[in-house]
Amino acid sequence: MRIILLLLSIALVSVAEAAEYAVVVARNSPIEALDSERLRDIFLRRRSFEGNIPLVPVNLLGEEAVRTQFESQVLQMDRGQINQYWVTSHFQGIKPPATQASLQSIKTFIERVDGAIGYLPISMVDDGLKVLHEF
Amino acid sequence: MTLVEFRVVGACLVLCLLHLPVMAQDSGYEIGLGKSVNDWLTLGGYFSTEYEKSSDVDQLQLDDVAVMAYGEFSNRFSYLLELESVNAYVANLERDTTSSNFPPTIERLYIDYKRSDHVSVRVGKQITPVGYWNQQPINVLRETSSNPRFSKEMVPKFLTGIDVHGFAPLGEDLTYHVYLQNSRDMDEANINIKPVSHYGFALAKQYGKGWRIGGSAGQFKEAMGSTSSTRTFTRYWQANGRFDNERYSLIAEGIINSESAVGAGRERSKAVYVQGEYRYRPRHSLISRLEYFHDTGVTVPERIGILGYSFRPVFPVSLKFEYQWHQESSYNRFVSSFSVLF
Repeated sequence: MRIILLLLSIALVSVAEAAEYAVVVARNSPIEALDSERLRDIFLRRRSFEGNIPLVPVNLLGEEAVRTQFESQVLQMDRGQINQYWVTSHFQGIKPPATQASLQSIKTFIERVDGAIGYLPISMVDDGLKVLHEF
Repeated sequence: MTLVEFRVVGACLVLCLLHLPVMAQDSGYEIGLGKSVNDWLTLGGYFSTEYEKSSDVDQLQLDDVAVMAYGEFSNRFSYLLELESVNAYVANLERDTTSSNFPPTIERLYIDYKRSDHVSVRVGKQITPVGYWNQQPINVLRETSSNPRFSKEMVPKFLTGIDVHGFAPLGEDLTYHVYLQNSRDMDEANINIKPVSHYGFALAKQYGKGWRIGGSAGQFKEAMGSTSSTRTFTRYWQANGRFDNERYSLIAEGIINSESAVGAGRERSKAVYVQGEYRYRPRHSLISRLEYFHDTGVTVPERIGILGYSFRPVFPVSLKFEYQWHQESSYNRFVSSFSVLF
């Protein structure tokens, strides 16, 4: 009985900790994986390349759960800190990443634009996309 | 414009701007981020007003008015243009006189080429990539209305030339700049030092999210008769450190200059400041700064203490008050400012 309870609790913890979202690129991209530090630099536009490949980060418009989760877990910033960062960057002539209005349009954007990188719920990832990082 | 009209217009402007965040939200425009027309054109700008009161100064001024345009031609090429009117309108409240200076000057004009994250090239008139204060020179982005003397008198604020910069291949969070100027400035109005040549390098290293340290070294040659008829050639060594978390910021910068003059010996000057900011509530913060400045040509070094308060209804709108205590008490003064980045 104890063993069953132990296995059950391990399973529950695993379910609770399973990642819901993923940072993705097109399946044909040569990029295989990126850590969260590198992703932070890319989405804050401190870095624009992976190797020699120019990157095009794309954000979801608004404050949907996937975006706020990405900001808190990967960028490790809240919305106020992010706004402050982009205001300062505006003076430096740097714009925030492009946005798309829906998750479906993000998926299409990533599949069609060379170097595009964005985030989606794992449930939307199919054969046309490659997962670089889960969160 | 008379002084009374200036005050009325100024008061209306402040009221409008304090409501701007609400109005802007309704129109889809986000204040502080400019108006993006397309990939190759984003428009923006900023302005600041300043009031200063001391034993012999009682002055209100429209300090800076600037417009900016920037954009990307491709993944690798981008540009930025900034035109600015400095001291656009000054009202001397003690003498009841006014003056204006609206013709704009070229503050920045450059093209960027990104070869990789390790090598980018900026060509044109740009901010000299030295330290922190110099690279965030506009009132609205600063913590206080006033600048430390460090940032005004020791290094040319602008560079008309080339800057090669990027992430150093040696370390993930190490960035570098190597810069060179070998001409006069593109527009010599409103610059602090007028060099005919200037070159140097800067390094910065980020440690985690909070700590950042850096330094730079370089030398510049001034045009005769620009800021001083005797100073011609200056070498500088500069260091900076910074710590930030959600509630506190601590910044320190120091510099040593070695200046050689025509027909005279070598003079050294040094400046250092330490500044702390405590964000005690969202949008409200207290700032204190201690400055030390010593020019060997002057017998008594200057020490300045500053206590200030900053209120930002939103980050790109800033209302600041400060009081400065100088070693020579007749220089003590009160300064307040209102500034907006749009």
